[in-house]
Amino acid sequence: MLELYVWGPAFGLPSIDAECLGTIAYFTETLDETEYQLIQSSPSAVPTHHLPALHDPARNTWTSGFSAITAHIQSRNAQQQYRYSKKVQADSTAYKAFLTDQATPLISLSLYVSSANWAATTRPAYSKILPFPLPWTEPTAIRAAMSARAADLKLSSLDTDAEAEKAEAAAKADPSWVHVPESIKKSMAQRRKNAVREKLTPEERSRIRLEGVTAEVLDVLVGALASKEEDEKEVYGKEEDSDELPEETTTLEFRCLAFGYLALMLLPEVPRPWLREIMEAKYPGLCDFAREFAGGRYGILGTGHSTERKLPWAEVKNTKSEGLSTTARQGHTLSGVLTRYVQGLVRIIPLVGEEGSRWWTQRRAGAVRTPTTTESQALVAMRKANKDLVWMTTGGLSLAGITAGLFYLYQGLLPFGAPVQTWRAPVSIGLTGLGAAGAMFAGVDDHLI
Amino acid sequence: MSTKSVRSWMPPIPRPLERLFNSVPLLTYDANELPARAQSSTASDIPTLYVFSTEEDARKGLPSFNPKCLKWQTFLKLSKIPFNIIPSTNHASPTSQLPFLLPARKPSPTASKPPGGIEPIPSSKLEDWVLSQKQKDQASPEKQDEKFHPRQEAYQSLLDVPLRNSWLYTLYLDPTNSNLVEKLYIHPSSSSLWIRATLRHQLRRAAESAILTTTHSVSSGGPLKGFAHGVVHPDEIYRSAKEALEALAYELSIDNRGAEGNTGWFFGATEPGLFDAEVFAYVYLMVRFFSRPESAEGEKESGEEETKLWLGDLVRQAGNGELVGHMNRILELTWPDLVVRDA
Repeated sequence: MLELYVWGPAFGLPSIDAECLGTIAYFTETLDETEYQLIQSSPSAVPTHHLPALHDPARNTWTSGFSAITAHIQSRNAQQQYRYSKKVQADSTAYKAFLTDQATPLISLSLYVSSANWAATTRPAYSKILPFPLPWTEPTAIRAAMSARAADLKLSSLDTDAEAEKAEAAAKADPSWVHVPESIKKSMAQRRKNAVREKLTPEERSRIRLEGVTAEVLDVLVGALASKEEDEKEVYGKEEDSDELPEETTTLEFRCLAFGYLALMLLPEVPRPWLREIMEAKYPGLCDFAREFAGGRYGILGTGHSTERKLPWAEVKNTKSEGLSTTARQGHTLSGVLTRYVQGLVRIIPLVGEEGSRWWTQRRAGAVRTPTTTESQALVAMRKANKDLVWMTTGGLSLAGITAGLFYLYQGLLPFGAPVQTWRAPVSIGLTGLGAAGAMFAGVDDHLI
Repeated sequence: MSTKSVRSWMPPIPRPLERLFNSVPLLTYDANELPARAQSSTASDIPTLYVFSTEEDARKGLPSFNPKCLKWQTFLKLSKIPFNIIPSTNHASPTSQLPFLLPARKPSPTASKPPGGIEPIPSSKLEDWVLSQKQKDQASPEKQDEKFHPRQEAYQSLLDVPLRNSWLYTLYLDPTNSNLVEKLYIHPSSSSLWIRATLRHQLRRAAESAILTTTHSVSSGGPLKGFAHGVVHPDEIYRSAKEALEALAYELSIDNRGAEGNTGWFFGATEPGLFDAEVFAYVYLMVRFFSRPESAEGEKESGEEETKLWLGDLVRQAGNGELVGHMNRILELTWPDLVVRDA
């Protein structure tokens, strides 16, 4: 039985991540429920460090990423492979690349960069699907990564937290030496608030830019998904339900992936739903596609639809669950979760954490088998990683030692020319300490001893 | 005093050191003007393109070894704009990216006018510049029929993600090619051992984070931001590169124009455009640098050799060799001496 590791359900969808969503859709389309299990996870729990990840216990191999997994499934069921013409295959390859390349930034803007949406929708969703201490480390990391994906669009103004921080830093760095007290500043700002601009949310302010960015992506997808209207009458569809299906001008993989991305654009209930508004206003075809895929025909969505399918979620927390390999449980036990949490913390340590976590992930990834590597290669990678561990520990320890030494050396330095100097009278013990009287008896103690 | 108000765990700074710091005020001077001779040695009567290249190749005007530079070099050549090539590095560029173009010196009557009127053009604006040059030359400015091609946008992603990643991986991260990186990028930059080591490290990290940000929806690189680390999976990179090359080869083989038949260029264009130039840049460099060496083929057919994938071979095997045909068609227009003739 195959094990598919995915991000957990959110927004009424089976997964919070577009690629995972696409993979789940693909699995429900091609495989029987008894052939696979879905395991709610996060990247830090799987050795490939990327979700979706597929573990094939029969061959003990790991595959990760949407297209790698679909290719793996196709190689298992070879008869499904040649259903499409070359043109459809070539186009779909291109459109899939387009989705990962261009649609991710859009989702990232809507769900991650926008502070309001992040705080009200996305972060709570992550908190729900991650086991306890992990919501402290992982969602922020994901947000940082997703924001980096959207950085090219130059719409970071949606992130009001970062904007406020930036303004604060700018105010601090302001070299002017006329210091305006905070109270006056505030009243000035209040007066300025009357301007229309101040009343708009960042999303409304950059609405035109957002519409442009959205159109650039969705226009292409409309072309891809609506190409059935062109009179290409060749049918490559499946036999059983080709009467109601439009002519297959795209591959199933592409449609599943497109569903993953479009559903995340359309369905989450966010406080600033600019993306959904744009889609509903201008791209009704795409909305229909996503809704139909989710609710009607495929019944993935938990809408209580009659055709709704039950997804084979595995109960990971139940350690006695059958059919799960040990790797599946490894990352989800209490100790596993704690290890993941500590790793998340280690990453935040400046300088050292970066390299440390890089090394750690590579060590884990090197030790697993992918379909093309052999056991011996994995073993070699493991040994190399172990050697690295020795080097890293020695290096780290000596670095820490040197730093501590330098610190104490610095602390031990005399504060030259300290402003207060104290003189103390020499304290002498014995009879001489008693002054003249003592001197009188000075000879006595010699005799006493 | 301010030091007293901030209670810190750090011990106080020793006085002599503090006096030393106080006597060195932080002051940033304005950048110096370029010396006058710099202008005459860089600007010339024809535009200059700054690319990654070797001195010798640049003198002969041979192709650059960097895909992005080669793309623009090819595009300028296809547009029949005469230009010079100067080997350069990222540090020389105003946008810290190569290539950039320095337009021709204007034949202004006021020779005494101080130089500096020429603004370098970064690669993002090069296409507009080339179009404007073309329109200037032709008396009748024919408007390019810039129709929106959703398919072209999608195929562009094939170049930006799978092909670029495979190039980055093969050149920078595959340890068997480290000699090539040394030769092309690191040795020309500096002779210092330390700088070379740093540069090597930076290049690898940059390549890695570029791959990870495009393939994984969740992962990022860069200092302080790099919370979630991903792992580069070479199998997946080569698999998607193969898929991408197949798709590109197929796109070349079909005739998009119907009646006029196959033009031999992408999307049924009558003449090669920017997309052709970019495909050519990758294909040519992959064939040139990452083809299976001829000698090794006959001798070593052991299992070890078999597992290594050569990008050049992937290019040759894609479709029915359309990509190599396309490469040769472009070479005939640009560098006729370099046409690859093999079976």
